[in-house]
Amino acid sequence: MDFSNTFFWTFAYDFIRGPMVWIAFIVFFGGTIFQIFSLLSLTKEQTISKLTPGPGRFIPKRADNENKKDWVMWLKLSIAGVNPFMTIVSSVFHVLLIIMPIFVLGHNILLDNSFGLSIISLSEGVSDFLTIIVIVCAGIFLYRRLFVDRVKAITTWSDYLFLFLAAAPFVTGFLAYHQVFENYRLIISLHILSGELMLMAVPFTKFVHMIYLVIFRFTIVSEYSLGRGNRTW
Amino acid sequence: MFGKKSTAGVNTKEVKAILDEKKTKMKLSLKACAHCTLCAESCFLFMGRNKDPKYMPSYKFLNSVGVLYKKKGNVDLLDLGEMRDLVWERCVLCTRCYCPVGVDIPEMIALARRVCRSQGVYPQYERD
Repeated sequence: MDFSNTFFWTFAYDFIRGPMVWIAFIVFFGGTIFQIFSLLSLTKEQTISKLTPGPGRFIPKRADNENKKDWVMWLKLSIAGVNPFMTIVSSVFHVLLIIMPIFVLGHNILLDNSFGLSIISLSEGVSDFLTIIVIVCAGIFLYRRLFVDRVKAITTWSDYLFLFLAAAPFVTGFLAYHQVFENYRLIISLHILSGELMLMAVPFTKFVHMIYLVIFRFTIVSEYSLGRGNRTW
Repeated sequence: MFGKKSTAGVNTKEVKAILDEKKTKMKLSLKACAHCTLCAESCFLFMGRNKDPKYMPSYKFLNSVGVLYKKKGNVDLLDLGEMRDLVWERCVLCTRCYCPVGVDIPEMIALARRVCRSQGVYPQYERD
């Protein structure tokens, strides 16, 4: 490898591990705040008493007791009741997507070395197992995109790209941890880079559903809003 | 092949003006749609039509407002004709559709209807 090549790869590696991390987090947090304001600006506050059943919050009353709400029926008619398999897969995938980067030992060792910040960590065996779960869930999503008619009908190239981007940190992290390939530095660079790209993509691409789902479910009133939403479109 | 697309019969300025009124919401909705299809079962037309994907709320939304947005309002009568079938024959605007992410699908369908109607494209029930 000649000097310029070595210099480039060393520079790239140091850049990805250093300034690029800061850039990724700044873009992530700044973009998130901007998108929260964008979404809230499209809604307005509405006093709860004005919101009537129908398009607003409606939980059916039990037939045998007019005062009690029929939570079983409400659950049966919700997305969880209609699509329990996808609800479970999607929930597991998304929870692990957020939890794993925070509690994985390798990341926390870096935090400890850099900032003296010591966070509780998962054991390596547990992290490994959970990473495989995430990869399996991503595989289920890919299967749906390729073979389920209704998903194929609205799938575009960007859906494959973003699924790849979401799964890439886990796949590369798994490969790097197990040192599957000889060139560890390349795999770990890809792992870091894919994580950074994913973070930067969150506010500006369809990954924004990470932010919108929470805001929508808790603030904008609808049939299945959680909590006492007091905003409407 | 490389010539300008013909938008004869469509007042694209008027279409763009209508889209501009809801530009932010349209952009955010199109961006936020995760293409998950979890809205499908909320549409009784989808359930009643043998789960035909063309009746999915997300399909209707992406192929009406999505097309208007992608083409920046430069649509022709053929595009509007296809949209008419989607937003009138395949949707009754019952507003029952839900989206886990919070996309206001009925409003987007209503927006597409408004654009079509402004160009004289709407179902002619006495004729059809």
